[in-house]
Amino acid sequence: MKRNAAVLAVMVLGVSLLLWAGWHNIRERRKAVQEANANRITLTRDVPSQTAASGAMGTPGDATAMLKGHPAPAFTLINSEGKKVSLADYKGRPVLVNFWATWCAPCKLEMPWFEEFRAKYKNDNFEILGIAEDDAAKDEIIKTAKKAGVSYPILLTDNKVANLYGGVDSLPTSFYVDKTGTIVEETVGLAPKDEVEANIRKIIGTEKAAAPEKPTGAGQ
Amino acid sequence: MILRTAVLALSFLQLNVMTAPPKPKSYIVLATDQQTVPANKKSVVELRFQVVDGFHVNSHTPKSELLIPTNLKLNPAEGIKPGTPEYPKGNDYTFSFEPGEKLDVYTGAFTVKLPVEVTLGEHTLEGTLRYQACDHAACYPPKTLPVKVVVVGK
Repeated sequence: MKRNAAVLAVMVLGVSLLLWAGWHNIRERRKAVQEANANRITLTRDVPSQTAASGAMGTPGDATAMLKGHPAPAFTLINSEGKKVSLADYKGRPVLVNFWATWCAPCKLEMPWFEEFRAKYKNDNFEILGIAEDDAAKDEIIKTAKKAGVSYPILLTDNKVANLYGGVDSLPTSFYVDKTGTIVEETVGLAPKDEVEANIRKIIGTEKAAAPEKPTGAGQ
Repeated sequence: MILRTAVLALSFLQLNVMTAPPKPKSYIVLATDQQTVPANKKSVVELRFQVVDGFHVNSHTPKSELLIPTNLKLNPAEGIKPGTPEYPKGNDYTFSFEPGEKLDVYTGAFTVKLPVEVTLGEHTLEGTLRYQACDHAACYPPKTLPVKVVVVGK
């Protein structure tokens, strides 16, 4: 009798352990799938809507995507000439806020495109602010920008501005801010040149913006 | 019978826990944990690294001085004299948007060969691998991977 009870108890324990193990396994797999989805980079050349990465590695979710349709966060930084520059200085103008670094090869590929579009849309008051999210020496940053043919303002990071823009976990990251100070579009990673231009056209108002109407931005 | 049931249950438990996929922590992982080399003789320790699928890192000799090279830095350790690391050659890499710009990168597995001379016994080689990773369109801030390998001199 006692032996039967002991066997029964062990069997119950065994089955319980199996059930727990199965449940634990399913939970871990679901968690892993969620993390894998969060880490997946979805940038492709031919699908403009996918230029914003779904999340950088190690950062679940997409903090930067939450800024689309919201006022561009205000900042004041020092430019390469040592002068203070605020986003508010460009109030009423369409602005491309571009985070880049000297070590970022794709950043340097798109900088000449920005320069080209800056000249092309000069009459629309379009401006670019290139924020060097970099701990390289100032001279090196200036040298790199010059080599890329950049004449638009280059601002030096204060190591806080990226956090205002969702962390900026990978570069290049660009925010397209319209005349009202609203972030209309944002891209993570190198976007195709025609998509860059299409986004610029959105903020200068020559193309219908994807973002809904929003109140005036705090930054401008 | 009781023992068999318990063992079976524990085996299932272990199997289930072990099959859970690992969480990504870094763009490079160290694939070497121990190496045995002849004691008191010049030999080579092979440090094998694996770049996570979908990413690449600059080689030790990237084509631009502004790019951050992959670089191994080792701490001094008793009983082990490391020489200058020998890095593998990188592969050409081109971003699809700019075919003219070629980079020199590591993808997949790569091995850094480290000349060493070790005394008899077990020694721990510690250091760091600094690297900077990108995928096909974006780059990630430089990272430092801790390197720890047990080198046994026999």
